[in-house]
Amino acid sequence: MIQYNKIKILLIEDFAEYASAVISMISAMGCNHIDYVSSADAALQKCREVTYDLILSDYNLGDGKDGQQVFEELRHFKIIPDDTCFIMITAEKTASMVMAAIESRPDSYLAKPFNRQLLKSRIDKSLVKKKKFRPITKAIKRKKWKDVTSLYEELCNDSSLYRQELKRLQLTILKNTKSINESQDYLENELDNRVTPWALTELGKIYYSLKKYGLAEGIFKRMLMEFPYSLEGYDWLAKIQTILNKPVEAQQTIEKAIKRSPKLIKRQKALGELAETNGDNLAMMQAYRQAVKYGKHSVFSHADEYVKLTKSLGVRLKGIRNEDRDKLISEAKTVFSQLQSKFSKSSGVQLRGAVAHADFSAIIDDQANVLKQVEIASNEFENLDENIGANECIEIATSLQQLGFSELAESVLEDGVEQYFDQNSFIEQVKKITKNKNLIANALKVNKINNRAVKYFKEKKYNRSLDEFLLALNIAPNNINIALNRAQALLKKYQQSKSDTELLHQAELVLSDIDRLSSDDIRYKRYLELLRLSQLMLQNTNI
Amino acid sequence: MTLEKQHDYFSLVLASTVHDMKNSLAMLGQSLNHILDEQSKNTLNIKTQKDVGIVQYEANRVNNSLMQLLALYKLENEQLPFSPNYHNLFEFIEEQTIILAQLFEAKNISCEINVDESIDAFFDANLLSIVVENILGNAIRYSKSKIIINCQNDDHLVIQINDDGLGYPDKMIDLEGGYMLGINQSTGSTGLGLFFAEQIASMHQNKSDTGYIILKNGGELNGGLFEIHIP
Repeated sequence: MIQYNKIKILLIEDFAEYASAVISMISAMGCNHIDYVSSADAALQKCREVTYDLILSDYNLGDGKDGQQVFEELRHFKIIPDDTCFIMITAEKTASMVMAAIESRPDSYLAKPFNRQLLKSRIDKSLVKKKKFRPITKAIKRKKWKDVTSLYEELCNDSSLYRQELKRLQLTILKNTKSINESQDYLENELDNRVTPWALTELGKIYYSLKKYGLAEGIFKRMLMEFPYSLEGYDWLAKIQTILNKPVEAQQTIEKAIKRSPKLIKRQKALGELAETNGDNLAMMQAYRQAVKYGKHSVFSHADEYVKLTKSLGVRLKGIRNEDRDKLISEAKTVFSQLQSKFSKSSGVQLRGAVAHADFSAIIDDQANVLKQVEIASNEFENLDENIGANECIEIATSLQQLGFSELAESVLEDGVEQYFDQNSFIEQVKKITKNKNLIANALKVNKINNRAVKYFKEKKYNRSLDEFLLALNIAPNNINIALNRAQALLKKYQQSKSDTELLHQAELVLSDIDRLSSDDIRYKRYLELLRLSQLMLQNTNI
Repeated sequence: MTLEKQHDYFSLVLASTVHDMKNSLAMLGQSLNHILDEQSKNTLNIKTQKDVGIVQYEANRVNNSLMQLLALYKLENEQLPFSPNYHNLFEFIEEQTIILAQLFEAKNISCEINVDESIDAFFDANLLSIVVENILGNAIRYSKSKIIINCQNDDHLVIQINDDGLGYPDKMIDLEGGYMLGINQSTGSTGLGLFFAEQIASMHQNKSDTGYIILKNGGELNGGLFEIHIP
């Protein structure tokens, strides 16, 4: 039984009269601690201050973020613990909005209107279920599969409820403890019993991971025929069709998902990308427009959709000469200024934005602004304090070359090659843009040296490995991989000798020289771990 | 405006109007509950208690009809989400009776649920809940004192709703498979509920089987008997 006098509940509802009705329902259950906010931002703030057992949120919260975005943000930034239950309140049972709400996987959702009895029943069930699954969720997070297995068996014996969750758990256990064939057999057996979207999706994902793309494509196609509202399936199918080099079909697939649930930024961006590949500028423009629109209040918005939107607006402009033209130009200008203010702290985004702006200004024959934006870009590049992605690097350099600023273009490429010399597809693209023959030669050279260094490292020849890393680092001083490799080799060599503390100081120096690694880079974890190790070893030498 | 855009626009207006009406109904129900809370029910005379029951019942009926109309409109325009999944049958049925708890109470009708608590069945819970709520609402209207809900899930799912009322008119039972024809303004039957139930049943398919509904008289309580079969 739930002890309502001991739990804390937050209600997020913009419609004050409805909120007071819900509050009186909850009070009647015996709950004394109910906080109520009427906006998304107030909700996020409240959750930072108080740890709630349950959050009840309306999906519609007026202008600004909606309930789903609140939920995603709370989870993503771990503002609420896994233990907190989240129940979404929707306006009706049969809307695409409900589909979107389900896609973010709240603990439960409830359609208006509801009475006190139904609300209590849903809250009871969600809290009880959360409590039952708490230990197993924790064990999964810690990857303690023995514990997971025994907790799973306990749950199976304990209750006749949660059969579907238990099936999912069983598959999770199989995937993590047995060969992939066993997961496959399990799912095929499930499908013999009953064809469900879940089993089909999981089987499709297994084929995907085995690179059996043809089979995976077949599975997802079949699933979408039978269950056209299994939206995740469209995303998977489009991904597979892209790999199978069927971008036109992939675009059609994503379009079907978007028709049913348009609010996912990721999905709109996937559509934009495919449309760009297919030369479908109109679709590209619309997709990025939606991505910008839905991202307006979202933490998942990215500079990418802004820049891509202005690109497609530029292409669109080339074909028309009437009053629509002015509308598109003013739209692009708005997007540029939004980009500038929304990502003001990122020098990489500002560089990219300025180059895109110069590009666009050239299309509308505004030469003065071209010069102004390139000047801004040049300044941002001088003071760059973060890495530019490989694709962005190509995009920026291509634009600069076309605009006739080849010196800046070559500098940007040089910077990119330093980071991505080991990515073949990147180097191939650079070849097409650069006029600097040495650039490619250098890339090949540093790649060779780095490979040699890694080989020596694996053979535990740390001295030779360190020499090579140093050589590589001299050619590419900003390369994060080499710096991390070198630091790791220094630590290894120290462990081997256990005396030369100079090695530890060197390692620390190499790590502290890395100043362009942002915390959302996948290499950041490795960086932190090496930093921790070097400091730990240094401490031990002091004792 | 293209025809397709007109459809989209109408769909939007329809949905927002329905929401608005549903909000009004919710507020109406809330206010009624407040009034009832203020003057504890015992002090109401029998006539007033009956009137409260009628207000609750009619508000619920309007709400349910709105949901059905909206869903049918979407179905017509291929916008109705159909997303079946496994659900615990007992929890599902129990929830439908909880939604109608006030009506059961107001009309003093008892409800018995005979469902094995370990059964999981495969259906679209959002759509089927509109059906069951509607049929239960009707059963409450016509029954004298008791409703029994039985479920089996042997080779396919069957939900049976028995009431102890006078039963369905013969004419209605004969309409099997064509409930749209049941519209009869003189008897107050709009045909909506059964037509909707039939549509939702037939959306559920498994291999070569399709869902359907059956109306009978008799059953466990010797009144009306509604059955929905989901493969």
